[in-house]
Formats: sequence, C-alpha cells, structure tokens
Amino acid sequence: MANVIAEGTVGKRVLLMGNEAIARGAIEAGIDVMAAYPGTPSSEIAEALADVAEELGFYVEWSTNEKVAFEVAAGASLVGARSMVAMKNAGLNVAMDTFMTLPYTGVKGPMVVVVADDPNAHYSSTEQDTRVAAKYAEIPCFEPMDQQEAKDMTKEAFLLSERLSLPVFLRSVTRISHASGDVTFGDITKEKSKLGFNKHWKLPYRWAVYGPPSVAQRHVWLHEQLPLVKAEVEKSRFNKLFYVASDGSMSEWASGKPKAKLAVIASGLGVSYALEAIARLDLGFEVPFLKIGTPFPIPTGRVCELLKSAENVLIVEEGDPVVEEQVRSLVGTTGISVKIFGKSAGAEDIKCDKAGVSYGLIESVEPGVLPPYGEISSDKVLGAIRRTLAIIDETQDEGEAGVDEARESLRELVAPRSSTLCAGCPHLGSFFALREALRKDKGVHIVNGDIGCYEQGGYGIFSREVKGDDSDSERYRISSPYEILDTTHVMGSGIGLAMGQAQAGYRDGKIVAVAGDSTFFHATLPAVANAAYTRANITFLVLDNSWTCMTGHQPSPTTGKDAIGGDSIILSIPDVAKSLGIEHVTVVDAYNIAESKEAVQAALEYEGPAVVVLQRECALQVQRRTRRRGPAATYVDEEKCIGCRICVELGCPAVTFNAESRKAGIDEILCVDCGLCAQVCPQDAIIDPNRTTCNADS
Amino acid sequence: MSFDLVVAGVGGQGSILLSHIVADAAIRCDSSTRVRVGETFGAAMRGGSVASHVRIGKDVYGPLVSKAGADVVLAMEPLEGLRVSIDFLKRGGVAILNTRPWYPVDVNIGVCKYPEVEAIQEGLSGLGADVYLLDATEVAIEAGHAKAANVVMLGALSSLGTLPVDEECLLAAVRDRVPQKALDVNLKAFELGKKAMKELMDTKKLGKTADCTGVN
Repeated sequence: MANVIAEGTVGKRVLLMGNEAIARGAIEAGIDVMAAYPGTPSSEIAEALADVAEELGFYVEWSTNEKVAFEVAAGASLVGARSMVAMKNAGLNVAMDTFMTLPYTGVKGPMVVVVADDPNAHYSSTEQDTRVAAKYAEIPCFEPMDQQEAKDMTKEAFLLSERLSLPVFLRSVTRISHASGDVTFGDITKEKSKLGFNKHWKLPYRWAVYGPPSVAQRHVWLHEQLPLVKAEVEKSRFNKLFYVASDGSMSEWASGKPKAKLAVIASGLGVSYALEAIARLDLGFEVPFLKIGTPFPIPTGRVCELLKSAENVLIVEEGDPVVEEQVRSLVGTTGISVKIFGKSAGAEDIKCDKAGVSYGLIESVEPGVLPPYGEISSDKVLGAIRRTLAIIDETQDEGEAGVDEARESLRELVAPRSSTLCAGCPHLGSFFALREALRKDKGVHIVNGDIGCYEQGGYGIFSREVKGDDSDSERYRISSPYEILDTTHVMGSGIGLAMGQAQAGYRDGKIVAVAGDSTFFHATLPAVANAAYTRANITFLVLDNSWTCMTGHQPSPTTGKDAIGGDSIILSIPDVAKSLGIEHVTVVDAYNIAESKEAVQAALEYEGPAVVVLQRECALQVQRRTRRRGPAATYVDEEKCIGCRICVELGCPAVTFNAESRKAGIDEILCVDCGLCAQVCPQDAIIDPNRTTCNADS
Repeated sequence: MSFDLVVAGVGGQGSILLSHIVADAAIRCDSSTRVRVGETFGAAMRGGSVASHVRIGKDVYGPLVSKAGADVVLAMEPLEGLRVSIDFLKRGGVAILNTRPWYPVDVNIGVCKYPEVEAIQEGLSGLGADVYLLDATEVAIEAGHAKAANVVMLGALSSLGTLPVDEECLLAAVRDRVPQKALDVNLKAFELGKKAMKELMDTKKLGKTADCTGVN
C-alpha cells in the first residue's frame, strides 16, 4: 500500500509505529532535509521519510555515520532549510563534537535532533539517557508519552527551533519508537522554506564559532536564550497538571484543595505507565499529577504548584533521574516541604558525620523506589507506588501477590533460545573459516568484534554455564560462531582495540578484528589509516554483505542504491583499504569456506596490517528477490552421517540434530540452499544439489 | 477494560506483522478505541525470541501487557508460546500454539532439551488456560506458502470469538499489510486457519460433554 504517512487528510486516525509518527510530525512541519545513520530503535524514522520523499519533494539520505548526518542536517539549517537528524542513543556519542558546538552559533532554519534511547539495552551497548546530553548542550528537550505525542512534539519541535534559533532535542525510547499506537493526523504546512545565506545573520560572524567576539561570548549568547526556553516550556501544552481519580479518570487542576498524601510527576512514557498503575491500584484518593513533556528544562512553575499539592511526590521517568534531580534541586532551593521519591536517595537519607560524609542509602544499588537501571513498566510503577505508600504509612510493603507455583515450575520446561545468525548468512561461512584458520596455531588468539549482525559472534550460547576465571591467558574451545568474538563495544572499536593489543606487545596469539561493510565506512576509516601508519601487526576482516542488515537492510556505500532506491556508486572496500596504505589486501567469497580460510591464514601470517574482505550479499536480501516456493533441496544422507556435529558447529539455524538417532538434519523451510553445511561435512553426508563450491578441507 | 494479546514467535515468522494487522483492524473497527502494540525482541533480525504485545481498549496507555495479564497468547512456535505464557498469560486465558518447532541452537548443539509439545499443553492447562494446538505451518503450506502461518493463526484467533474486532476489519487490514503478490495465499490461509480452529473448538466442546457423560 502507499505509505499512509504522506496523506493530507487532517483528522485521519491510523496505526503508526512511534518512528513513523515522528516522520509524520516532520512531514506536517514541512521538512526539507532528513539525514540519519541506521540504529535500532531509530531507523524507521528516516526509512519512513525515504519512502515518501520523492512524492512529497524533500531530501533524505543515509549518511555514513551520525556525525556526518548531524552536520548534513545542520548545514541545511544554516541556509534556512527545515532539517532533522535521527539516531540511536550511541549515535549521539558519535555526533557529540558537533552536537555540543552547534548551539553556540545556533541555527537559522529549524533543526530537530531525534535520539531514540534504549532503556533495558534491547539493542544497544549501553542504557545511556541522552536527555542528559540535551542539558549538557543546553538545548530544550521534548519527550513523548505515546505515538500521538511523538508526532505532535516533532512538529512542535520544528516550530520551537525556529522561534529560538536553536536545535531542539526530541528524546524517544524503544517503547515509543518501536511500539505502535493510534495517531490522528494534523495538517501539513504549505509554507515553503526560504533558502539564503548570510555570514553575519543577526550576529557578527554568526556561523564561525571562533569568530569575533569570542567563543565565550557565544556561550553567553546561549545562556541569554535560556530564559526564552524556560518561558516556552512554562506555557507548553505538553506539560500539564491534572488529577487522577481511583478509577483512572482525569479531572481539571484546581488550586486550594487540601494536600494529598501522594502526588506523581511523570515524564514521557512514564506518564503512560503511571496513569495505568494508578488505575490498577484503586488508591482511594485523588492523585495530583504533573505530566511532563519537556524533561529539560522542567516547567518550574508547574512543578512548584505540584510540589505544594501533596506531602509526598513520586517521580516516574524512563532512564536516569533527570527530571528527579531537577525537582530535588528545586525543592532544595525553594524550601517547599515535601518528600521526593524516585530513583535516587532523598536528602533525608544522606547523613553527614564528623569523619566525613556517609551516604546512607546512596550506597545501595537501588537507593530509590524505582530501579536506576533497566526499563520501567506499569507493573514496576505500580510496585513503586506501593513501596512509597508503605514508607509513608510506615507499614510493610506486601510485595507481589503470592508466587504462582504452577507458573514457576513451568520454567524448568523452557529451553533458552540463543540469538543466531540467519540460515544461509554469509557470516556463518566467514566465522567458520576464521575459526579453522586460527586453529592451525595453538596460541590464545584475540578476535575483536564490532557492531552489526556479526556481533552475534560474541553473544555466546545462553544455555551454557560459563564462569569467570583468574588466569591471565587462557585458550577456550569455540564450538559455535556465537563464541568466536572476544570483545565487542561500539561501532568501529574492534580494530582500534586490536592495534592497542598489538602495540602493547601481546604475542600469545594472533590479533584479529572484524567489522561489516557499513561499519567499515562508519567508524573504521581513521583506524585503518592508523594501522597502515603504525604498521600494526593485525588482521582486519571486513564482512561485506552489501547492506546495513541488522537495522533492517538500509543501503550502505557498498549497495549501489541511495536512501530512496535510486542508483548510486558502489564504493570498493579493497580499494579504500589500499588507498589508506594497507598493502596486504585480499578479497574472497564468504560462501567458499576453503578459499576464505586460506586467505585468512595468509593474512594471519603476514607481518603488518592485513585486510581480508569476505564478500557475499545478505541471504535475506537474496531471498526477497528470488523467493523460493516449496522446501529446500539440501538434505542429510543419514547413511553417511556419523553424528560428529561439525555441521551443527557451523551455527546455522537450519541445521538440526536429533539427539536420539544422532543424525543431523536440515529444516527444509528455513534452509536457503547456500551450501555452507555441505562444505563443512567431513563425510560428504550433506547433499546440496546446487553445490558449486568444494569442501573446506580439500 | 482492555483486550490484551501477546503474539509469540521466533524472529522471521511474521509475528510482528500479525500483531500490526490485529491492531490496525481494531482502529478500523472502532474509531474511539485506543490501540498499542509493543514489541520485545533481541538485537537479531531473525532466530531470536520475539513477543509482540497488542492492547485494545479505552483505558490503554502503555505498550506492554502486564504480567499474567494476557487474555490470549498466540504462538507461532510452541517453545515461544510456553516462554511467553509463563510470564503473561492470565489464569483462565487462551493459548493457541502452532505446533511446528523451530529448534534453538542450544538444543541443536546438545546443551538442553526441547520440551514435548504435550508437556507444554499440559503445563499451560495447569495455569487454567484453554490450550489449542494447531499445525499452522502445515495449514499455511496447504494455502500456498509456509510463510503464511501467521495469517493462519490470525484466522484461528478470529474464530475464538473474544477478539473485539470484526472479521471484515481483520481482512481489510490483511489486504493492506501483506505483500500484494502473496494476497491470495494469505486470504486462503485466513480461511483455513478459521476453519481449523473451529474444528478444534468443536472437538473440545464434544470432549467436555463426553467427560460429563462419563461422570454420569
């Protein structure tokens, strides 16, 4: 179907994913330029916009990384265009340099910075709360409670950015971005942006942060905007006071009511959870409630009003205690008599003694009534309200309803499901070849991972119990591709770590780094140049599957397609590596295990930096183009199978093993007839009728 | 009041599309109802556990079904149905399980065992649940493609009769959301799923009557 987010019908009500709602908000605001690098849970924002860009006449690009994307959006805004950049939490770390500096010059056309955080780290290396970054950069931050607000706030963020000449931050979270809800459309602005450039726009040397008067003076200018920002949030419709009755119904705010036992301040998605928790608890009293849509800066006036409405206040927010710390500071400054509950310890819990400071409950891992890590839910907020009331009433919190024995005993039946690469994934071949190549040498090898589908090489086997041990160097058996990566941190970090290991003089084993094609261009180019420059003795494998797969198959510089599906050039990774000074560069087919193993071995033996590019398009993308009807052709000849499980060690989800008959099998629905398992079988017991490649050992 | 459904499966089985079809249909049917879909899945594109929460009702705000709060668990894979039901299926709820297993690598490499489907059924019945076992993958192959198993399960859900969404709305959402070249297969899958579920429900009713007769 045509993408509904392009429709002009005001009042139309549809199901949208939070990311699509943000895209719709940008469309309603009249976006001109969208730039992003894919990152879960943010990718569908630019994807949705790319889908309708041609129809609506604006520009969308998948940039090579978030810093580039941020600068593309900023540049557009400096000439008066309406721009947006979207990224995941970690992406902001990449864009941080420009992100921190741009507010000093401000922007001309409106610019919205969307960051999708990931509480509980469903798809991320950290749980970092980027609202802190909005405060760090001193720009206003919106945070939606649901998909409708995600749309409405995005539109408002453009308007606010235009009024303030500052980039405006929109913080989403996984449960907004990757959840769907009913969204009612507003109107799409007809007003076109006027492009123009003025070097001294309203201020001298406006866009040169070092230009006169000085950088420090620009910081003064930024602070001069803060009162304007505060005035905006004070009157924002996204910050709202009301009461919530026991049945969950809401009523208008009224002054002069007697103080309630407990009030709630909730920000963003926390609002949704808190409303549900109150309705489920049937508290028997009306709860004064402040819904916050701007966690930085908080609407001080409304917060003060709320603080005066109750003896105790619970603060509910997803992530760090960002609102909570601002509220606690406000309580300290104003001297309002109220007790605050949330994720951190209260002032009353902090004791000073003669010897120094004893932090009391702060020393606890969970000093507040809500945990300072993980994600919240209406279940957790419900528990927090109950705990808060128990502390207030000095009673015992009865905790969860009794343990359901029937449920708990069922857990013993559940087998863990380790995350796996897809059936026919070329990385399965690459990792098998790497394992075999490393086996030739008895050292304690280090394989540094990176971010992409292949990061699953470090996920381990969930059901296998592993204990830490104290030895300095230890060799472990690798029985699946999911155990082959020893380090994984962030985009591009693997090759850097490898160089450090090599330059430190580590000689107990080989030093390897792996990265995908999209990651190669995103964050490894300076590191590759560094490896050449310092002659680091490392092997760098680039697993090139032609797409940015893990985030949903966005095109990358090796795809030959741009964001909206038009033709683009294909950048050659081997040529780039050579031009950056790497002398040993080989290219192999990741579906040919023998060839791949040989190339990796040669690279491992080479003194100095060596690059092996293992190429093969993502199996899912191939299947999408050539969908097979009927079962796979590959099968196991049970007469020949001796049950050695080497095929199982390939880690392909389509290779099964029957523990009773001790025979391997092929799941005919999952299998894509890639031929990898047939290559690894030492008995030639796996028959792949389409097979064109030879055995790994031959 | 809300209708809370959790769709469980393995990444790549189409459980998220299935949940979006249900939610989309709910909006089409009732212009005032609120709808939320919350997905929980790991980082992987495929092969990991996926659970998609669908919430329909006037007081729905958040995207997650509360613990032991699901009226129905619809599972594309039996082990995933078990995993999700333990946490989310309410006492007396309904679980419809596709019986076709997708073995975890943990089972394939021999570290742990895959539970018998009968044991799963028995266990969930112990939670007071009505459990229906349906080989949706086989039914989907009959309809034209194994990938349509999610729409077979949708048909089954529609037969159950507790979903506050009309069949026409479900079908309208199916038409809009499945790939157009696979529309006929999916419409057939829906019909076959509906029929298979009706048969299961009839058998169950008969079974209960037979038990009563036995007591007499």
